[in-house]
Amino acid sequence: MSSAVLPMEGAAASPRLESFSYDDVIVRKFLWATFIWGLVGMLVGLIVALQLANPIFNTSLEWLSFGRLRPLHTNAVIFAFAGNAFFCGAYYSTQRLLKARMFSDALSKFHFWGWQAIIVSAAITLPLGFTQAKEYAELEWPIDIAIAVVWVAFAINFVGTMIKRRERHLYVALWFYIASIVTVAILHIFNNLSMPAGLFKSYSIYAGVQDAFMQWWYGHNAVAFFLTTPFLGLMYYFMPKAAEGPVFSYKLSILHFWSLVFLYIWAGPHHLHYTALPEWASTVGMLFSVMLWAPSWGGMINGLLTLRGAWHKVSEDPILKFFVLAVTAYGMSTFEGPLLSIKSVNALAHYTDWIIAHVHTGALGWNGFLTFGMVYWLLPRLFQTPVYSKKLMELHFWIASFGILLYVVAIYSAGVTQGLMWRAFDTTGRLAYPDFVETVVRLLPMYWLRVAGGSLYIVGMLLFGWNIFMTWKRRPAKYEVPVITAPALAKKYVPAPAHGAPVPAGLWARFAAAGWHRTWERMPITFTVLTTVAVVVASLFEIIPTFLIKSNVPTIATVKPYTPLELAGRDIYIAEGCFNCHSQMIRPFRHETERFGEYSKPGESVYEHPFLWGSRRIGPDLARIGGKYPHLWHVRHFNEPTSMTARSIMPAYPHFLTKTLDFEQIQSRVDAMAMIGVPYGDAVRGQAPAMARAQAEEIAAEIEKQGGPAGLADKQITAMVAYMQRLGMDLRAQPTTVGVAK
Amino acid sequence: MKLSDIMGFANLAIYAEVAMVLFLLVFVAIAVRLWLPGSQQDLQEAARLPLDDDPTPAATPRGSTHGR
Repeated sequence: MSSAVLPMEGAAASPRLESFSYDDVIVRKFLWATFIWGLVGMLVGLIVALQLANPIFNTSLEWLSFGRLRPLHTNAVIFAFAGNAFFCGAYYSTQRLLKARMFSDALSKFHFWGWQAIIVSAAITLPLGFTQAKEYAELEWPIDIAIAVVWVAFAINFVGTMIKRRERHLYVALWFYIASIVTVAILHIFNNLSMPAGLFKSYSIYAGVQDAFMQWWYGHNAVAFFLTTPFLGLMYYFMPKAAEGPVFSYKLSILHFWSLVFLYIWAGPHHLHYTALPEWASTVGMLFSVMLWAPSWGGMINGLLTLRGAWHKVSEDPILKFFVLAVTAYGMSTFEGPLLSIKSVNALAHYTDWIIAHVHTGALGWNGFLTFGMVYWLLPRLFQTPVYSKKLMELHFWIASFGILLYVVAIYSAGVTQGLMWRAFDTTGRLAYPDFVETVVRLLPMYWLRVAGGSLYIVGMLLFGWNIFMTWKRRPAKYEVPVITAPALAKKYVPAPAHGAPVPAGLWARFAAAGWHRTWERMPITFTVLTTVAVVVASLFEIIPTFLIKSNVPTIATVKPYTPLELAGRDIYIAEGCFNCHSQMIRPFRHETERFGEYSKPGESVYEHPFLWGSRRIGPDLARIGGKYPHLWHVRHFNEPTSMTARSIMPAYPHFLTKTLDFEQIQSRVDAMAMIGVPYGDAVRGQAPAMARAQAEEIAAEIEKQGGPAGLADKQITAMVAYMQRLGMDLRAQPTTVGVAK
Repeated sequence: MKLSDIMGFANLAIYAEVAMVLFLLVFVAIAVRLWLPGSQQDLQEAARLPLDDDPTPAATPRGSTHGR
């Protein structure tokens, strides 16, 4: 078949027929990228899973320790695997839904290669320790700028296609794409505002509570608008395709869309329950999260019922199987999300593996399986030959499903186990497990099960790749490019007399029947603007108060900026990714204050650019570690953690004792901090290196006095010790030493 | 005087509530409109959009379904 003619809607009113073809070359490119990066991201996931099961897998290479690889895993699976999958499906479906080729092939190519270049730069810079220390926004500022540029190119390409479209109505999948595109742009730009201190170092312009608020407004909505709405768009397109029937209820899909857009953006603060965040913000976050139950389940039901009348096909068609499990996983994780946002549940789950299990239900089940189903559906259409093996598809489905089950069940139990152990008291009213490491080693069997489950999922991924490769090998010598003809849209839209009905009279009747929502949908630009307004206004009203109303962050007189050496230590802490395992935020619970000390106050974080509260405690909280151990303990612990805590799973950092600290560089760091409002006093006037050297010598002398090695004064370890010993000390200081930085 | 002082004096709290009410009204309007009769046919056509777009050879066995 060399050409196909699409009969057009309302054929009688055809002004002019236009011929065009779809750009599937770009879709094939994104398909390959989806598989390749998916495999890479999952393999890195396997490595970090092994590192948690046994620290020996951290090797002696500093670039491959858990703290540096964990962000690489999350970024790779979110932005590289899920991102490319979304682009693949979006480029395929958008062109067809709009009956138009993409606005510009050049922009499509720029989008593709730009995105891949960003992924490669992430894969290089994260192991090198260049990080902003904000979850899922770790990439440093030059890469952030590149992301913004590529994203804008994608947005222009997308909007341009909508403008030249030949189908009047914008199908619901497209609304989900629009919402995703605009919201991700807003989130990315505002969360990444930072003050550069060199080519690969920057400090968030926000501090402490505000930075935390900003980060989780971003973090939560990255889940919402990068992993949920784009994939819902794909679901609303590819599920009807695979089921060969329309979506169960188009009304429900409209409602699903608007509820998500209105609700999601408010839910971020549930990541910060019981932290030093104002109570009202945390409650707003919880309420909106609970409200999300309704639309999420509405969406899930809508997806599943799309298979009405096609259920008998599910047993034979692996593609439908993948979709059914994906939508079920969407339902499970969106049931669990609101549950976890309820404060009392969150008190148990926060900082534990429960959250890790929750996100993997979503990522492996929802994003992964939807991607697999979509790609298998696309293969014969893109490579224009039947899929190599249906049996392999079946096998992939069962192996990967079993892998998810193993992973999730193991990690759920790990999370609940550790949460319960942390809060357990014995009959005398003391902590039942005062040694933090006890609560970690108890999880190791579960961590090994996770390794097994994850490996099965990766085996499935290899089958997936084999099937793609073999199908591709059987492609025709030259792909057919069908020519489509469709009439151009008339400049002015004349509403068809509503299927014979007279045009209604009266305001209410017009409201009820003239289809004003349909009118919005015919105006993509207006529609985009309205969606943006909904997202921006909600964001502003939630965020502005914490930024601008003074009473929200009471100041504490004794809280002073870090000394230049402590700041250098903090930078190393960030570069090594210590915040991936150690929180610095003690919640106001008795079991936490017993274990770690006085709970954290908002006023303690006012100079924390960025905040380092953490989100998972694989190791103990460090907010009050200062003064708890002598310097020498830290030196030995960094050099070989098991020498101080026998069963510790922390990677060793012997290079802190051998690598020289770049004292001159500290000046630029201090200057950058001063520019964003940290009162550094004399340190900004070129004195930072000298001040740092003086403090480093004191610390090195003290280490030697305690019986440690000599000659550490110019080594990184002094900065790390200085930072560790400072944490939590401000609250104990007498309010007389004004201007510590001098 | 910092920006936070100015904003603190401006008493903007009421704006958040106004925005919330406006949002709610728009949302209710969308929901009410959806469940009123009159848009059935339009919506059914819209729901079929993904099924009407694929003329490629390997398309669904049923082919493109143009029926309404």
